[in-house]
Amino acid sequence: MLSELTSGQRQAALIFLALVACVGLFVAGFGGADPIAAHGWLVLGVALISAFAVLTRFHDPEPVADRSGSYYDAPVKAGIILAMVWAVLAMFVGDWVAWLLVDPELTFSEPWASFGRLRPVHTTGVIFGFGGNALIATSFYVVQRTCRVRLAGHLSPLFVLWGYNLFCLLAVTGYLWGINQSKEYAEPEWYADLWLVIVWVAYFVLYLRTLARRKEPHIYVANWYYLAFILVVAVLHIVNGLALPLSWAQAKSYSLFSGVQDAMTQWWYGHNAVAFFLTAGFLGMLYYYLPKRAERPIYSYRLSIISFWGITFFYMWAGSHHLHYTALPQWVQTLGMTFSVMLLVPSWASAGNALMTLNGAWHKVRDDATLRFMFVAAVFYGLSTFEGSFMAIRPVNALSHYTDWTVGHVHAGALGWVAMITFGAIYASVPWLWKQKTMWSPRLVEVHFWLALAGTLIYVFAMWNSGIIQGLMWRTYNESGTLAYSFVDSLEAMHPYYIARAVGGLFFLVGTLVGCYNIWMTIRASRAAAVLEGDHPAPRPALETGS
Amino acid sequence: MAVEERDPLSGYKTTGHEWNGIKELNTPVPRPVFVFLIAAFLFSVGYWLLMPAWPTGQSYTKGLLGFDQRDQVARDVAAAAAQRAAWSRALEYTPFDVALADPALMTRVRDTAPALFGDNCAMCHGQSGEGGPGFPNLRDGAWLWGGTPDEIAETMRVGVNADHADTRVSQMPAFGRDQMLPQEDVRAVIDYVRSLSSERPVAPSARLVRGAEVFANTCAACHGVTGEGSQAVGAPNLTDGAWLYGGDRDSVHQSVWGGRHGQMPAWEGRLSTAERRLLTLYLLDLGRDQP
Amino acid sequence: MFGLHYKLERKAITLVLAIIGVASIGGIVEIAPLFTIDQTVEEAPDMRLLTPLELTGRNIYIREGCNACHSQMIRTLRDEVERYGPYSRAAESQYDHPMLWGSKRTGPDLARVGGKYSDAWHAAHLANPRDLVPQSVMPAYPWLGRRQARIDDLGRHLRALQALGVPYTEAMIEHAEADAYGQAAPNSERGWGVAERYGEAANVRDFDGQPGAPTEMDALIAYLQMLGRQTAIAEAAGDAP
Ligand code: HEC
Ligand code: HEC
Ligand code: HEC
Ligand code: HEM
Ligand code: HEM
Ligand SMILES: [Ca+2]
Ligand SMILES: [Ca+2]
Ligand SMILES: [Cu+2]
Repeated sequence: MLSELTSGQRQAALIFLALVACVGLFVAGFGGADPIAAHGWLVLGVALISAFAVLTRFHDPEPVADRSGSYYDAPVKAGIILAMVWAVLAMFVGDWVAWLLVDPELTFSEPWASFGRLRPVHTTGVIFGFGGNALIATSFYVVQRTCRVRLAGHLSPLFVLWGYNLFCLLAVTGYLWGINQSKEYAEPEWYADLWLVIVWVAYFVLYLRTLARRKEPHIYVANWYYLAFILVVAVLHIVNGLALPLSWAQAKSYSLFSGVQDAMTQWWYGHNAVAFFLTAGFLGMLYYYLPKRAERPIYSYRLSIISFWGITFFYMWAGSHHLHYTALPQWVQTLGMTFSVMLLVPSWASAGNALMTLNGAWHKVRDDATLRFMFVAAVFYGLSTFEGSFMAIRPVNALSHYTDWTVGHVHAGALGWVAMITFGAIYASVPWLWKQKTMWSPRLVEVHFWLALAGTLIYVFAMWNSGIIQGLMWRTYNESGTLAYSFVDSLEAMHPYYIARAVGGLFFLVGTLVGCYNIWMTIRASRAAAVLEGDHPAPRPALETGS
Repeated sequence: MAVEERDPLSGYKTTGHEWNGIKELNTPVPRPVFVFLIAAFLFSVGYWLLMPAWPTGQSYTKGLLGFDQRDQVARDVAAAAAQRAAWSRALEYTPFDVALADPALMTRVRDTAPALFGDNCAMCHGQSGEGGPGFPNLRDGAWLWGGTPDEIAETMRVGVNADHADTRVSQMPAFGRDQMLPQEDVRAVIDYVRSLSSERPVAPSARLVRGAEVFANTCAACHGVTGEGSQAVGAPNLTDGAWLYGGDRDSVHQSVWGGRHGQMPAWEGRLSTAERRLLTLYLLDLGRDQP
Repeated sequence: MFGLHYKLERKAITLVLAIIGVASIGGIVEIAPLFTIDQTVEEAPDMRLLTPLELTGRNIYIREGCNACHSQMIRTLRDEVERYGPYSRAAESQYDHPMLWGSKRTGPDLARVGGKYSDAWHAAHLANPRDLVPQSVMPAYPWLGRRQARIDDLGRHLRALQALGVPYTEAMIEHAEADAYGQAAPNSERGWGVAERYGEAANVRDFDGQPGAPTEMDALIAYLQMLGRQTAIAEAAGDAP
């Protein structure tokens, strides 16, 4: 990866890393007793290790001057490996916290090992670590292929990937050390937030410049989604993250907003993190890998347009469905509910577009576990968006809110949709990237598929059951017209479902481990063979230039 | 530029572009998509007309139904209370002994109390009122503050060492820590106190004699001359073998040396009169099936 | 329409602007009016501010992630009102930067837990919930009672909140550290100022039963005992069960 940099770029990287190391040292020094000091040391350490890595490659031969004849896949490969590493870590923590709800003693008597600190490690680890790396990697892959041009930069893709993972590392270590902003899915403190803004701007600029250089007149729909993902997440992240730190050398900050306004901003962010991180980005993935793997044209270009703009417009109104019956004024809840219902139409339109694309390729779905991952993902996407729109209806939410039903919905989306489409995309890309015909073992892909599907079904059914039972127990009245169950009664009723969920999660985790092994073996088997036929940018005299 | 071709399978034309082998069909949007979109939109418009919905700068549209979730919950709660009124009103004025003998009323109590007790009291007094270290057993018939229904209801209303104006007040002084008694005497009185409820006869010793002396001088004021306790100040009976904080040497030492200041929250304000009286009946009922 | 799009998708910058435009509308329409419509947050003239010790406790609550399991938002539903007390008002969290309404109830709602249990109960429960509630799945927090709360920089915390619109006075900021100490050490000289600055309703006592400088347990219990007791507007509305 580093040997693809010119010596000038290697120097620039070193200078940059030295700067980062200085910032780390500065924070570590001035932080004193504040927990931020630990992050200072962490940044210093990461910068030094990275600098060392650059130094070991410092005198490698210069890359060829004109590299526009090949795609820049080093960051894609690194991103895929990082995604899998985060997947294992974060799903392990997910299953750990699942077992903690079965038996709270299954942990160490250390602050970092308590449920409240581990849970955000899981959520951040899967969404940002696993999901984010997969999105960055596949977006780099897809934008090059669909624009028929090499990425617009050599250092900046590496910076985006490295900087992004540094952000994830700051986030999860922060929670373990007690640094947490408490805003769901935006828990990192102000300085990590700021760092992410820098990384994200670099990502956006890189993406846009690559698009601008494209050799295809039209921007392919996958890129609309990746673009929406990058743009809207930036807006959400910046607005929701506005906060006043105590000082430059302290971790703690106070959110700019308070009370109702904060709640609405938070869930405008939170819901659209779902929409643009967990949905739009992965739809981008779907729109490239599914037709590619099925070797079928997209069912309908027009449907793509309707669903893209529908999703972009409607989602942004729906956040207040997280706040039904609360102190948020009811008019906002009304808007959240109605837009969530309308949102179902573009959501199903995109799920339908994907499924219809498989027409003519159903035999491949049957035979090819990789394509089956994508097919199941599209089905779960349809299912969880239907469920979401249903849960957004006020009386339904009265029952489901605060219960495990939400958790079931989340994982129908997260395991069934997000993780499945990612595995599908990864199984498709890995042989292409490492110049193999297939994965090392297609049978292990099959094994992974069934483990993942079984795990998802067990998880989701367990949580539907427990959530609905919980919700009902909280509001069941006896013949005298008084509450029939105490809170602890409902807690006891959850126990068997918590066991089932933890077992289902274990299935899913084992599947992921099988996947890692398979990927590892595929990489080992690769012998830098010849470039896949046609897998290179358009030849020099551009076919036609876009904007 | 774009060269359209026809997909042999579906018969639709492509848009004529290709991205790394991916093509798109220009299939018209299936009609149901528009139908559902329009249906969802019409539903929404209807909902907006009826309910509070759109902001108008300084205010918002209130909706034709004039519905407000806060009014609604107030109505729901009031309606539920009205439905229960038949028996919950009766609970407020029916004398306890009459209520205890009224099977209809006691059915309500047994229906209602477990969840109410479970949400408010069980955290301290245990799921079935069995108590725990520092939290009295409520079903053993040994009462700190008096076992008549009215006394029990009053304890619940005002609490013990609580922030209620009429709260019951009790304090076991820290004789050791606050140096009210010399070490020797603390040790002696501990032995003496433990001997009071000992099942086996305890061999007399000089220390016990000293302990008895200290007890008479210092402790009897609250715990009574024989250690039978006093419900007026909430001082436990020390002779019955039922311990609030434990009867082993360490626990008793902790009680005498460091004092005790048990707290029971006041429930007036959090629970209604009917609810408190209902819980009183429940406790009496629990006590009834004790041996 | 599709023809127009056919042109739009050839211009990256136009696509960017279109996405931003289309995506901005919902947020603006839903969030901006929350600052301009007066009814959004009720008047609560009796609203008491968090004392420095309670604020420390709140930050510990956030640090430990209690909000992962506990909501602080009683919804306008009959069962919630009957179980937890009057539904939560916007005014009650108007000074919460950020709010802690929560989204999951693995444990019970805590919006009105203040005064429901004794300090000793909380101390024992936090040290090991299963000592008191055998079925509980809540983690044990034994270290809270062992660690001194950090109070030396509280002035800065109050100053930051003041900058964000929480009406802390200069006197409060100046005495932040002393008040934090005093609130958990009622018999010390520093105990006096708390009631003076934060009102008689403020709890001044040794929360965890360990005299001396406040521990993290003192701070957290002080916070829990204040929940739902900053203003009486909810009770005053007369819809208490
Ligand atoms: C914070 C813990 C706590 C909670 C919650 C609690 N209690 Fe108590 N309760 C106590 C303690 C401690 C005492 C003993 C006080 C003393 O030392 O005198 C007590 C005493 C009592 C007594 C008097 C016992 C006697 O022997 O005289 C009754 C009756 C009682 N509680 C009933 C209830 C009921 C009913 C509820 C629920 C509505 C309840 N308690 C909730 C802690 C609690
Ligand atoms: C001012 C009144 C008062 C005096 C004097 C007093 N006690 Fe107590 N004692 C109490 C009260 C009240 C309690 C119950 C405390 C509680 O419930 O928190 C108690 C509790 C106890 C207990 C714990 C009982 C249990 O069930 O765990 C012991 C033991 C005890 N006292 C011994 C003594 C001895 C020995 C002395 C004399 C040296 C003494 N007390 C003097 C009021 C007093
Ligand atoms: C794993 C989830 C979990 C976490 C994390 C958690 N709790 Fe709990 N909490 C529970 C459960 C379950 C109960 C009900 C059983 C019990 O009382 O222990 C509970 C009960 C409580 C209660 C009693 C509420 C009532 O009305 O009965 C309080 C107070 C409380 N927790 C405070 C905290 C605080 C403070 C923290 C963080 C330091 C915390 N909890 C973290 C699950 C959790
Ligand atoms: C049409 C699309 C969708 C709608 C309308 C929708 C709606 C909802 C609703 C109503 C809730 C419950 C809020 C509450 O009661 O607290 C929820 C929670 C959630 N949904 Fe969806 N959902 C949709 C799609 C998805 C998808 C595809 C995912 C992908 C993973 C997802 C992830 C989540 C998450 C993570 C939460 C939990 C938020 C929290 O922490 O409380 N949703 N959604
Ligand atoms: C091995 C697989 C997994 C297991 C065992 C697992 C387990 C859990 C558990 C136990 C919780 C806490 C629920 C609670 O507080 O009651 C949780 C929450 C969550 N998980 Fe997972 N998880 C897994 C995979 C994933 C994946 C792949 C994603 C996303 C891509 C994900 C996203 C989330 C989210 C968003 C939440 C928060 C839900 C909410 O706040 O409502 N999880 N998970
Ligand atoms: Ca943040
Ligand atoms: Ca203390
Ligand atoms: Cu949502």
